[in-house]
Amino acid sequence: MKLLAPLRSWAVASAAALLAILLAACSTRPHDTIVVGSKNFPEQALLGEILAQHLEARTHLRVERRFYLAGSYICQQALLAGRIDTYVEYTGTALTAILHDPIESDSSAVFGKVKAQYESRFGFEVLPSLGFNDTFAIVVRGEDARRLNLKTLTDAARYTPQWRPGFGYEFMERPDGYAGLARVYGLKFAAPPRVLDLGLLYRALLDGQVDLVAGNSTDGLLAARDLVVLQDDKHYFPPYEAVPIARQDFLARYPEVRDAISALAGQISDAEMQKMNYAVAGEGRDASVVAREFLRSKGLD
Amino acid sequence: MNVETKPAADGDAIVEFRSVHYTLPRGQVLLRDVSFAVRRGETLVLLGRSGAGKTTALKLINRLADPTDGAVNVDGRSTLDWDPIALRRHIGYVIQETGLFPHYTVEQNISLIPRLEHWPTPQVRERAQELLALVGLDPAHFLKRYPHELSGGQRQRVGVARALAADPPILLMDEPFGALDPLTRAEIRGEFQALQQRLQKTIVIVTHDTSEALLLGTRIALMEAGELKGLYSPGDFLHSNEPVASAYVAQLRALEEFERGK
Amino acid sequence: MNLTDFLQQHGNEILQATIEHVWLVAATMLLSIAIGVPLGILVARRPWLSKPILGSANVAETIPSLALLGFLLPVPWLGDRADRLTITALTLYALLPIIRNTAAGITGVDPAVREAARGMGMTPRQILFQVELPLSISTVLAGVRVATVLTIGVATIAAAVGAGGLGEFIFRGLAMVNNQLILAGAIPAAALALAADFVLSVLERRLRPAR
Repeated sequence: MKLLAPLRSWAVASAAALLAILLAACSTRPHDTIVVGSKNFPEQALLGEILAQHLEARTHLRVERRFYLAGSYICQQALLAGRIDTYVEYTGTALTAILHDPIESDSSAVFGKVKAQYESRFGFEVLPSLGFNDTFAIVVRGEDARRLNLKTLTDAARYTPQWRPGFGYEFMERPDGYAGLARVYGLKFAAPPRVLDLGLLYRALLDGQVDLVAGNSTDGLLAARDLVVLQDDKHYFPPYEAVPIARQDFLARYPEVRDAISALAGQISDAEMQKMNYAVAGEGRDASVVAREFLRSKGLD
Repeated sequence: MNVETKPAADGDAIVEFRSVHYTLPRGQVLLRDVSFAVRRGETLVLLGRSGAGKTTALKLINRLADPTDGAVNVDGRSTLDWDPIALRRHIGYVIQETGLFPHYTVEQNISLIPRLEHWPTPQVRERAQELLALVGLDPAHFLKRYPHELSGGQRQRVGVARALAADPPILLMDEPFGALDPLTRAEIRGEFQALQQRLQKTIVIVTHDTSEALLLGTRIALMEAGELKGLYSPGDFLHSNEPVASAYVAQLRALEEFERGK
Repeated sequence: MNLTDFLQQHGNEILQATIEHVWLVAATMLLSIAIGVPLGILVARRPWLSKPILGSANVAETIPSLALLGFLLPVPWLGDRADRLTITALTLYALLPIIRNTAAGITGVDPAVREAARGMGMTPRQILFQVELPLSISTVLAGVRVATVLTIGVATIAAAVGAGGLGEFIFRGLAMVNNQLILAGAIPAAALALAADFVLSVLERRLRPAR
């Protein structure tokens, strides 16, 4: 039949092509190459570089970088599908955004839950924390902290009725943000919060337009300016410890990776992360260079 | 009314209409109390104008439609008792637009039913060649052609060949030559007349062309507004006093009148 | 970074992403043809079904692709794996052109051909497979072509929900303000779409029955 003869050969050709593609899909990654992923902000790129360079130094594996993936869900899917082999997640984010469990404040409880559920539900291993806790930070000017002898949020609660706060959109909206904070510490302010872009918050604080802001505990500016982070003495904010995640079968295949990553446990303090963040975001330096300097300073390269 | 009242002997009637009514779901009556018989080996012409019900009657024979009342018998059995597929394969069907499959060659078109009936391949090919020759087309030249490469007349011949492929005893033709130009039409008609003698089949032809009816039919069934006006031999038809019949005959004479008028 | 260095460093990644992309599209097209063609035949057979079936497919098509992906995200089982989610959404998207063209192709078959086929004693199934489908294959392919190109495009957006593929390069490049990365995703995606369109229209033309 005139019509179907070409169709038959096209069908065979395309079936063959499809088959070839599917087979190729199973085997394009060259042997002994691993992929480190990261989310799409500078701190994550730094952590990704630290992980990648350390692995390059300590194992004989080739490391590819797949950074700036847009968020936790994307990284999760990429890890499941094998497009990346490891990335650094935050325990609080894992608990709420991936596992959809309610948020808690006890950091070891959170770590335990995340580790157990990641193993049972996804076959992922949660490796020990890198050391810092990238949680919310309530920040005031250094001069105010010294003058009023402020160390904790409870201390500050006495003076907030005279202050104007400044928060980002997310902090205003999140249930574990402003609403809960005000409730737990009984905070009252002189005026409703000014809602600003994250990048403008610290400038507004330093200029005196606001007196108290909510940032992140590892923000670079905290290391570079006269700013003080108030202690969360009532443990309101959930923990966001930085933990490397990897598939269990991947670690079983490359045990040297687990050893190498475990060597990074506890190596990065809040202050050290702040300094690195400032170098990249504030001074515009290259993340891979900053990461290399850090590893060298710790003898981990 | 010059109705032929000679009843057909039962064993002789291949197709029989018994008080057949056909009404559309919306209430329009297309056939009203139609009764006649088609004898073995004859060519019955259903003659009438558009809307007379002749195509509807034809379609009741191969169950493209079912009567709303009354019965149509084929080979002594009501069409309703026949499996429609088996019935249709028992009957050859030629339509005005031909309906050849554009994606099949002439050979594939002709051998459609034999292949569906699982005839052995060499027999199928032989049959196709035989039939093409029968309808006046050179097999060597036409077997591998496609319908769009043929003229109207050639296509209609292939249509007839296709209908005859499985050698059905009955042939239904719905205005088979209506789409052809007058010269081709006359030519094919002549060939068909010759074919009729050789085929010895029972044929029912629908047409609105009076000369075709007279030339091809052994009997003419005149239909008007869903009713059977009468059954005539060609000679009786020409000399009939029945108003509708005379109107048709008058049309035939139109050319002569034109000549006389000059 | 010049082109050769870039390709050297990212060439393997780009190839992998392309394969991921093609796999998403291929799986979607197989599913949508398997579902869409029978639905199209059904619509051709029972015209009263055209409103509900084509109507639903139209609704799926009208929802912006990112919104559709977002809707399906919280659905259990579907939302757990980005590829399931994406293939489901992409299939819903691809259905309309395929159903519509299949129905149009079959209804567009010359009524005389259909009547002749029926009158000669072909069963409905024989008519479908030997007459209607072969005669409408070119039209059906046109629908497949439109659906394929559409799918290649929407699959690019699906990287936003973790499906991988070439779109991921584009999103990463945007976040890093890196034009080379953006192009690394955009150019192959465009090339894929153009190639698919070209190949399928050639096929469509070859299969069109001569009148």
